[in-house]
Amino acid sequence: MAHRLCVLCETSKAIVKRPKTGQQICKECFFNVFETEVHNTISQASLFKPGDRVAIGASGGKDSTVLAYVMKTLNDRYNYGLNLFLLSIDEGITGYRDDSLETVKRNQEQYDMPLKILSYDELYGWTMDSIVQQIGKKNNCTFCGVFRRQALDRGAAMLNVDHIVTGHNADDIAETVLMNIMRGDIARLGRCTMICTQGEDTIKRSKPFKYAYEKEIVMYAYFKKLDYFSTECIYSPEAYRGHARAFLKDLEAARPSAIIDIIHSGEAFEIKEDIKATQKVQQTCKRCGYMSSNELCKACTLLEGLERGMANAGITDRARKKMDAEGPTPQNIRTIPFFQTSTRPGSPQPNNVENPQVTS
Amino acid sequence: MSSCGNPAVESDALMTRKPKYDKSRTCVRCKENTGNLVIRHAVYCKDCFFPLITHRFRRSLEPFVNPKPDGPRRTALKPTGDLLIGYSGGLGSAVLLDLVARCYVTPDKSLVTAEGGRDHPRKDRVWKKVRVCYVEVCDAFPGMPDRTEEIRMAVNKYQDLEFIPLRIQDSFDPKFWKSTGVSPDQLLQYSLDLGTEDLLIASTSTSSEPTAALRAYLAALPTPSALPTILKTLTRLLLLYTAYSTKSSHLVLGTSLTSLAVSLITSITQGGGFHVKEETQEEWRPTYSTGTNDFQPSELPIRIIRPLRDIGMKECGAWAWWMDVKVVGREKWVWPGAKSGIGSLTKDFIVGLEKDYPSTVSTIVRTCGKLAPKGEVDGRCILCERPIQEGIQEWHSRISIRSRADLTGKSESAPRSISRAQPSLTSLLCYTCHTTLTSRSSRSAPPLYPGLSVEKKVPLPVWIDARLSENSLHAGHNEVITGHFLTEGEKRDALKYYLLDD
Repeated sequence: MAHRLCVLCETSKAIVKRPKTGQQICKECFFNVFETEVHNTISQASLFKPGDRVAIGASGGKDSTVLAYVMKTLNDRYNYGLNLFLLSIDEGITGYRDDSLETVKRNQEQYDMPLKILSYDELYGWTMDSIVQQIGKKNNCTFCGVFRRQALDRGAAMLNVDHIVTGHNADDIAETVLMNIMRGDIARLGRCTMICTQGEDTIKRSKPFKYAYEKEIVMYAYFKKLDYFSTECIYSPEAYRGHARAFLKDLEAARPSAIIDIIHSGEAFEIKEDIKATQKVQQTCKRCGYMSSNELCKACTLLEGLERGMANAGITDRARKKMDAEGPTPQNIRTIPFFQTSTRPGSPQPNNVENPQVTS
Repeated sequence: MSSCGNPAVESDALMTRKPKYDKSRTCVRCKENTGNLVIRHAVYCKDCFFPLITHRFRRSLEPFVNPKPDGPRRTALKPTGDLLIGYSGGLGSAVLLDLVARCYVTPDKSLVTAEGGRDHPRKDRVWKKVRVCYVEVCDAFPGMPDRTEEIRMAVNKYQDLEFIPLRIQDSFDPKFWKSTGVSPDQLLQYSLDLGTEDLLIASTSTSSEPTAALRAYLAALPTPSALPTILKTLTRLLLLYTAYSTKSSHLVLGTSLTSLAVSLITSITQGGGFHVKEETQEEWRPTYSTGTNDFQPSELPIRIIRPLRDIGMKECGAWAWWMDVKVVGREKWVWPGAKSGIGSLTKDFIVGLEKDYPSTVSTIVRTCGKLAPKGEVDGRCILCERPIQEGIQEWHSRISIRSRADLTGKSESAPRSISRAQPSLTSLLCYTCHTTLTSRSSRSAPPLYPGLSVEKKVPLPVWIDARLSENSLHAGHNEVITGHFLTEGEKRDALKYYLLDD
C-alpha cells in the first residue's frame, strides 16, 4: 500500500492527523504549522517589541515546557529581540510541585534562560500543603489560583520584566468561556479570550498558545522529545471546571473544531455597554497594593481568613460577615508585602536578573 | 458520580447540593395555600401558577408587538401584520399555542382580566389572523412516521386558527419558493461541491425531485453534528418565508428557558457567538425587493419572538398537565451517530446540570442577554440569512493553517485558490454555516441513508439558488457569481479615489 503524502508539502510521508484540522501531514510540516500559528498569534497582536524582558510562567508541565522551547525558537528565527526568563511558583505541594520544579531547573539549563522561583511560603507564609491541612480539599483551588496569580506578578516584578507569557492553551480558553457563561461571570467572560491582559499597575500577561490545541502541544513535545513533568495535581481538580472540561472533551470528540469554534464565539461577542457601566471599578488593595475590585484584594482576604482560622471568609459572603463581626483585623497576623512594579524606566535592576538564580 | 456524569470528581470537591426549596412549603405569592410546585427554589400553589406563567408569557411578547416600543405607558397592541406560530408538536410549542389561544384568540377570562369599556381598543383582537405552521421532517429520516395529521388534529382543537403544513424538503422545491412571492423571475439552479473545503459552486441543468435533493444534501454533510444544525436552519427559513408570504408581522416559537439555554450553548460551541442576540430574538426581512408580494418587507421586518424564554421546561410540563394540553411529542431524530452530535451532547449536559442546579439555565440565558456582537457586519449569510461577521475567513486562515500558501504567507498577496472560473460559497457564509459545511470529524460516521451513494456535488436550498440567480442576473449574464477573495491591494485599488494620503 502506497504511503499517504503530507497534504501540505506533498512530498514527505504523512505521519500525523492534525487534531485541529484533521489534515494528514508530515512531522516537519507539523512543526512548521504549529510554530507559524504561534508566530501569527504573536505578530497579529503585536505582543512584544524588541528589547522587551519577558518571563515565561514555567511549571514544568507540557504547556509551559513547550512554550519555553517555542518562544526561544521564534525569538531566534524571527529576531524578536526578547530577553527571556523562566519564572516558577512553588505552591508547596509535596510530591507534585517539588518534582515538577526539578524539570524546570533542567529546562533552565537546556534553554539557557535565567530562572526565578518564588514560593507561597516565602510570599504568604503558607504552603498549599498547610492550607489543605486547615481547609481540606474543598475550595483549595480557589486559594491556589488567587495566590498563584499574584505570585506570578510579584515574581515578574522581582525579575523586572515587561511581560509574562503563560502556557494557557486553546482547550483552557474554550473551557473558561463555557464556564463563565454557565456561572454568569460576565466580567471574566469579557476578558477571558483576550490574548493580552493588563491592569493599571500590573505587568502585561499574554497567552501565545491561545489557539494551540492541547493535543498538538503534547504531540509537539513528543516529537521534539521535550523534557516535561506529567502528573495531575494531587489536590482534587476543581469540580466545576471538571464538568466543563468533560463536556468540552465530548464536544471535541464529536467535532474537533469545537474548541476553536468556542474561542471564535468568545471573540465575536462583547459585554453590552450599559452592563459594562455597572461593573466594579478596579482599585488598589489598601493592605498590599495589588489590584483589587474591593478594599481588600482576594489574596489578602483569603490570607486573613487562614490566619484567623476562618478560611471560608474569603469564599462566602456569610463567612466574611462572620469574620468582620469577630472584630477588627489583629495586628499580629501575617500579611503580604506591599506590591510595587519595578518595570518603569529608571527603576533599579534587581540582583538576580542577569545571572540565573534559584531560590526555594 | 456528579450529575453531569463527570467521573473524575472527588466527592468532597463537589458543590453542596442546595435544598429543594428555600423557606417553607407555603406559596410565596399568596402566602396562604400549600405549594404545589417548586420553581427554582420558590414554592407556588396551583392557583398562583397560572397567572404567573401568563404574566411571564405576556411580558416576553407584548413589548415587541407594536412596531415602536411604547415605553412605560401601556397602549393598545397594534401589530402591523398577522401572527404565525411555529409548531413542532413538542412541549414548548404546545404550551405556546395554548397560551396564544387563551390570551389572544379566544380570551380565557380567568387569565386575561377585562380592561376598559365595551368599545375599548384593547377589546379588539390583537392579530386579525393567527396561523400555525408545522414543518414535517420525517422524509429526512428513514422510517420516521409522518405526524402531520396528528398535529392537524391537535391544532384544530383550538378555534379560529389556520393550519399550514409544510415538509422539510420544501426548502428544495421551486414551487414552494414561488408561493412565497419573493422569487426572482428566473430561478437558476446550482450545485455545491461538499467534497472539499473550498465549497465550489457551479450552475447545473439537472434538477432533482425535492426529497431526493434534500437527501443528497444531508447525506453529503461532513459530520453527524451538521445534520440537526442544517435541519434547524432549513426549518427556520421555511417558517420565515412562510411568515413573509402570509403577511405576518410576528413569528413566535415555543422555545422554553431550558431549550433556549441549550440552543445558546449549542450555537456558541459551533462558533455562533456573533449570533447570540439572534438566538434569543431577531428581526428578519427577505433580501429581495422585486417580489410579487405586496407586503413591504424593506420597511417592516418580521419579528421572531420566543415568548416562553422565561419559562422553564418544568413549568411548561406543569402547564400542559394542569391545563390538559395535548402534546403530540416530537419524534426523536435518530440517525447513525446521533448520540455524538454537538446538539445532543449539549442538551444532555444542560438538562443534567439543571436537575441539581436549577438556576443554571436561567444564568446561561441571562448572561447571554448581556452580550452584544463585536465587530462589523459584512453582509448576510446566504444559508441562514443571519449577519456575517467581517474578517472571519482571514481569522480562520491565520489561526489554523490549512494550505502551503498560508504557511508561506503568500496568501496575502494572491487570492486564495478561488478563481473567477471556480466561484465559491465561502465568502457568502457566516462562521457557523461555514463550519457546519466544512468541519470534519476524526471519526467516520456510518452513512445516513444506507444504499444511497453519497454525491459530492449536491443541490442547494431554493433561497440560495434565488440569491445566486439574482446576483447572476444582475451581473447581466447567465453565469454563476464571480466572487473571489480580494487582496489588500485589490481592496485598496477599489477605494483609491476615496482614500486620503497618509
